[in-house]
Amino acid sequence: MTTPHANPEDLDLYALGALDGEEKQSLEVHLRDCSYCQQQLVAARQRTALVGLAAPPVAPRPQVKAALMDKVRAEKQSAASPTPSSKARKKRWGLRFSFGFGLATAALALATFELAKQDLDRGEQLRQLQAQHAQDAAALQAMGQVTGAPDSAQITLLQQPNGPPGQAHMLYNARMGMGVYSGQIAPAPSGKSYQLWLVPSSGAPVSAGLVDANQQNGAVVVRLSPGLAAKAFAVTLEPQGGRPQPTGPMVLVGAAG
Amino acid sequence: MTAQPQPVPDSALIESMRTGDEAALSTLYDRYSAMLLGMLMRILRDPQAAEEVLQDIFLQLWRNAAQFDAARGSLPAWLMVIGRNRAISRLRGRRDREVLEEEEGDYANTFASGQNIEDEAQRAQLARNMAAALGQLPVEQRQAVELAYFEGMTQSEIATQTGIPLGTIKTRVRTAMQSLRQIMA
Repeated sequence: MTTPHANPEDLDLYALGALDGEEKQSLEVHLRDCSYCQQQLVAARQRTALVGLAAPPVAPRPQVKAALMDKVRAEKQSAASPTPSSKARKKRWGLRFSFGFGLATAALALATFELAKQDLDRGEQLRQLQAQHAQDAAALQAMGQVTGAPDSAQITLLQQPNGPPGQAHMLYNARMGMGVYSGQIAPAPSGKSYQLWLVPSSGAPVSAGLVDANQQNGAVVVRLSPGLAAKAFAVTLEPQGGRPQPTGPMVLVGAAG
Repeated sequence: MTAQPQPVPDSALIESMRTGDEAALSTLYDRYSAMLLGMLMRILRDPQAAEEVLQDIFLQLWRNAAQFDAARGSLPAWLMVIGRNRAISRLRGRRDREVLEEEEGDYANTFASGQNIEDEAQRAQLARNMAAALGQLPVEQRQAVELAYFEGMTQSEIATQTGIPLGTIKTRVRTAMQSLRQIMA
């Protein structure tokens, strides 16, 4: 009796993205454990990827490249220099973020002071704490900009059906490309990380970095590209360290606007 | 006979991008933007939308250069897979969940190692061969493949749209892909 490998027709359809319904689910289950069919799928993908080349090439207008390179340069400059401070107008819920960071910053400042008093031999530890303090101070300043800006949007991210319990809040300013995330989710399984994504109105999600399961009292500042508008934010469960594009299930989702 | 200068490998350009080298992105854009835009235009049939997607893809490449693993697949394969997914998402107004399902692993091994499409002449030849191969297929087979690839339709949607039984659609796609494999061999 031969091994019931996947139907070759289904592999071609799957590679084309055309297989659907129960057949797709069954094939995906089979592929997890069948190395032969995995190899057949690679071959099917090699064939299907070539289909796109059949479309005649079209040279883009020069403006497209110019605009792309302008954005790239703007991002480089933005990464090199912090966004200037905006007019302060604190929102009440933003105080929670400020409180978490304020506590952390004050604790670090105190620890730094105590260490300085105690022992000069602990210079390296002191320098590390000072560096951490500077980072947190910068984060606090960035958070103040986002919470104080009148055009910042509040988004609540809610748990998904059959997903782990949790909820999070995001305060995001598209103009600055900056946000503040706070939330709590059930601990991630071993070897997994929670990753935050900005979902734009078009195009693929943009990673906003890893987030801790318990980010309730220590909000995290998220820096993206200035001008990057969000249709939604989502948290997915990814392999440890995160991925360039989402691969795991969505755990929390919240629509913006 | 003069020797043609060898193009800088994609892997070296990606490495340069990781250090913030804009010229490396510019070279990759010049190398692959026309190939990519051709496919995007075919799917979206809207020059402005296609150019927006094109720009997004290269911007993502710039932002994620540090994470791109050349060992997992070729750059043009990644560009074509991501470009197609995004264009179809836009065309069909897919929801967030479906956009999020874009699997990064899809690009792995999507072009066979013998296909050196970093070289412009070889890439152009491969494209001509593929267009000719598709052209040699019976109309009904070509239509099934094109509806799946360029319209992003599932087999059920193709069957519904064409009024042809699902089993027949499956057979047509399979036969078409077998023929393409023989023609391109």
